[in-house]
Amino acid sequence: MSTILNQIKKISKIDIRKDSFYCDIIILMVVSIVIGSLLATSISMAANSYFSKTLASLVGDYGEYDILIQSREEMKEDTATHIQKIIEEVFPGARMKEGPTITGKTSFFIAIPEEYRTKQTYEELGKTFGSIPGGAGVGVLTEPRLTIRGVPEGARAMLMDTIMKIDGVRFAFRDGSSIGVVLSSIDKATVVTEQIKTVLKQYQVIEISFPVGSEPQNPIRMGESIGNAMESQLKLEYAKNVSVDGKNDDMTYAVSTMMELKRFLEAYASKVTITPNAGEKLMRGDSLVFVGTASPLVAGNPVDKGNVIVQITTVQSGGRAEGIITQGDAAALINNQGYRVSNNVVGDYVGTATYNNPRQQLGTALTETTKIVEQIPGFAQDSQNLNTIATQSLNNYGNSINAMEQTLTSLQAAGTTIQTATSGLANIDTTSLQNQIDSSSRSMGGLINTLQVLKLVNNDVGGTVDNLVSSQQNLSDLKSGLAALDNVAADARQAKGSIDNIVRNGSHTIATLRTFDVDGTKKNMNSINNRLSQLGQLNIPLVSGQLQYMAASVPNLKDEEISHSVSVLDKFIAGQVIPGERIQILTTSNISTDAVAPLVYNQVGHKNVSLYSTDLGIIEPNARGELYSVLNEVRAVLSGMTAIVLTILFLALDHTGIMTVIRRNKVEQKKQMKGWRRLLATVVATFTDAERVYGMAIGAILLTTMFALGRGGIPYLPWIAVPFVGAFIGLVVACYAEKISPMSSDEMMAGQSLGLSIDEIMREIVIPSGRPGVLQKLNQRKMKFK
Amino acid sequence: MLTIENLYKSFGKVMAVNDFNLHVQKGETVVLMGPSGCGKSTTIRTINRLVEPDRGTISVSGTEITKLATEQLRQIRKRIGFVFQQFNLIARLTAVENVMLGLVMDGISREVAYDKAMIALEKVGLEKRAEHKSGEMSGGQQQRVGIARALAFEPELMLWDEPTASLDPILVREVLVIMEDLAKYRASTMLVVTHEISFAIHVADRIVLMDKGSIVEEGVPENVFGSPRSAIGQQYKELIEYQQLTNARTLSGKNIA
Repeated sequence: MSTILNQIKKISKIDIRKDSFYCDIIILMVVSIVIGSLLATSISMAANSYFSKTLASLVGDYGEYDILIQSREEMKEDTATHIQKIIEEVFPGARMKEGPTITGKTSFFIAIPEEYRTKQTYEELGKTFGSIPGGAGVGVLTEPRLTIRGVPEGARAMLMDTIMKIDGVRFAFRDGSSIGVVLSSIDKATVVTEQIKTVLKQYQVIEISFPVGSEPQNPIRMGESIGNAMESQLKLEYAKNVSVDGKNDDMTYAVSTMMELKRFLEAYASKVTITPNAGEKLMRGDSLVFVGTASPLVAGNPVDKGNVIVQITTVQSGGRAEGIITQGDAAALINNQGYRVSNNVVGDYVGTATYNNPRQQLGTALTETTKIVEQIPGFAQDSQNLNTIATQSLNNYGNSINAMEQTLTSLQAAGTTIQTATSGLANIDTTSLQNQIDSSSRSMGGLINTLQVLKLVNNDVGGTVDNLVSSQQNLSDLKSGLAALDNVAADARQAKGSIDNIVRNGSHTIATLRTFDVDGTKKNMNSINNRLSQLGQLNIPLVSGQLQYMAASVPNLKDEEISHSVSVLDKFIAGQVIPGERIQILTTSNISTDAVAPLVYNQVGHKNVSLYSTDLGIIEPNARGELYSVLNEVRAVLSGMTAIVLTILFLALDHTGIMTVIRRNKVEQKKQMKGWRRLLATVVATFTDAERVYGMAIGAILLTTMFALGRGGIPYLPWIAVPFVGAFIGLVVACYAEKISPMSSDEMMAGQSLGLSIDEIMREIVIPSGRPGVLQKLNQRKMKFK
Repeated sequence: MLTIENLYKSFGKVMAVNDFNLHVQKGETVVLMGPSGCGKSTTIRTINRLVEPDRGTISVSGTEITKLATEQLRQIRKRIGFVFQQFNLIARLTAVENVMLGLVMDGISREVAYDKAMIALEKVGLEKRAEHKSGEMSGGQQQRVGIARALAFEPELMLWDEPTASLDPILVREVLVIMEDLAKYRASTMLVVTHEISFAIHVADRIVLMDKGSIVEEGVPENVFGSPRSAIGQQYKELIEYQQLTNARTLSGKNIA
């Protein structure tokens, strides 16, 4: 370390006056760096320019063209004609250039006028150029542009809307399965890219995968259901089913309809339940045959077209199985003995079947409903009549109560009379009293009738009616009693008690009756009357007709037709873009799949699903941008390599002479050491000898500066390592300095003996005798003996 | 003129110069001799600090070189000519440019420097080879260019580091003649490292024998080689006697002993 410090001290004491050799070295360094940087930059730029030009000749300059159309080579003339025609019609002012033909495909580049660079244009490219003969594909070349791939179909619209709001984005468009983003300027590319990345990070796509056999019947509806549940139950700001783009794809509608149709048909398919015989075991997928309309089944015979075949779809834990009819119809399942079918041959008798035919049940239900509907007009009319009677009764309600109250008063008076006459019952005349009781009983009878009607409307009056009936009965009893009074004077006291009882109950009843809201009830009755009127105005024939139509429209299908139709629908749905085994939910990135899992299990009804989280999308490296980036890297590598080569050259040609002089001039002070100390001293000397320190310093300065000025860059070589590489090169060159620039010590010594300074020795003796290089050239202007 | 006191220089464990003391008078020619590896070249190179001494003082005309800063050292080096064993010419330059180099770098105009260089080349007899590069000249010629380069500054002290060691015997003579002339005319003080015994005998004012980095004997040639006090001196004496037996003639025709 001290040795290095000493070297640094020496360097700090160096005389760098204008005429000194050290000044020459500084000038040399500057000139070397300038030449080196220029050379490195020139070489790299030349290479870059060549590659860029080559690239531009293939695919045009950056942003020069907007559309790339490829067609088969043999059709290229027709293609060119068609393209020209199309752009003249659709994009007036556009120009076309035929590009290279590679692997049998000819490229055509089209530059469209600025006003046509719109979202609509790019989204309709396929349509616009779809009719080109031999067309193999249409691509977008417009720059500056970003491409986002991997975005679920259903999330593209939302993402495009979000991206369109970013400053610097001109518009976003659907580019096949990706999203293309056209920028307003290249300067915005970095900012927009970062902002899109931020947006992408805000969301995640939770994929719910279903294994075979556990798929939901309608994944679209299921996805929507899960999304809604996530929003409401997990309080998520955003959760939408993005498995498909339900808003923009006609095929989605079709598939969704197909799935609903399948569900509809399956709902009307007969469900056959089979109870296996003892010892028999049914498996899912097994087929059983029933005699149906054909001849009795015989084991070993082939299945007849008149037979009914049931395929097992579910096997319950108890062994009972459920299945669907794949041949024939449930109506033919008269004989319910089922035989196993194997290779279309009747096998053993395995169980008995019961079935449930939803079509038949629905038809029956609709027919019955039609009958009910047809009764509605008469029912309404009767109800209206009853309502009218009830209203009239309500109108007499007050009078009836008053009459009843009056009766009770009379009864009470009669009771008193009875009490008075108790002692001389023989003198009592009960005739007028009986008449009075009859009158009261009639009045009460009217009231009871009224209340009986009211009871139909308001059940609360039920108790009152009962009380009145009871009171009427009491009156009847009283009358009987009075009648008997004549005969049984002894019962006179008892009659008084009965009267008192009647009066007490009657008073209570009247008090209750008085609380009854007659007006409110009348209002309700009016309302009921109105509704009944409306009911009566219903177009019952129409309803009845429709019900009959519905009954008639219940699928008039055989079960086998339903089974085959479902099978066809399955094939269609499976061939579409909607994967039944996967649902994609776009949601915010602040929730884990573990948190979502319970909700999903609940929605799908089982746990036989897998949940994964994926990114919303990835910004795809722009191929052209990447190519230019690679070219830029190549340029940097060339520049860096040139800088390294030039560093070696400069060191070897210009500095080895100096290193040799330094080496010759140094005083050898070898210390006697042994063992590891000697080894250590050797290693230290390798790095601390003056000429090596000089070499390392010059190498580091040259390479680092040329690297920086020439914008060099070598893969896997970080900037911080460049000075070390330079120093290493300097060290290696210093080690071989004397071999590269063998210097005549005799000549140097002659110079010293003549009293020449080190500067003069270098200029007149060392440098001119050394390797031809920049230093020698620079030195010539100061040499006195040229 | 030149005073070296308590000079030490080692390379690792090897003590190249060990307590070396020497005083050279102005105009004196001192020949430094000794077996190979005894530290002669190291010693002579420490004088203008082409090799930095570890310890000791070196003074040239009263200037203590060992304490000089770089710039002052450069100035004094211009007053000290140095001739190398391997000539050390700048290969890319012509003979005259090699000679001019130091002068021009010292701020002298090219024209004046050229004239001076041509004079120096004339002194060594190479004015007609002025525009030749070292690769186009013989070893002797190259060394003469080296001498001319050292002389161009008219140095007060000339240091010769085995100037003939890399030359074949015929070419040696070209160089030794020049050296003899320089010594004869006392143009400058000379300190010569050489194995040329005859040159030492004929030209040197004083012989200094070295062994293992130290002076083992010094004196006039007659004493050092005639009555040596050191083993090295004795070896030189025996060598001279051997040469005399095999070849009675000496360079100048003088007999020793």
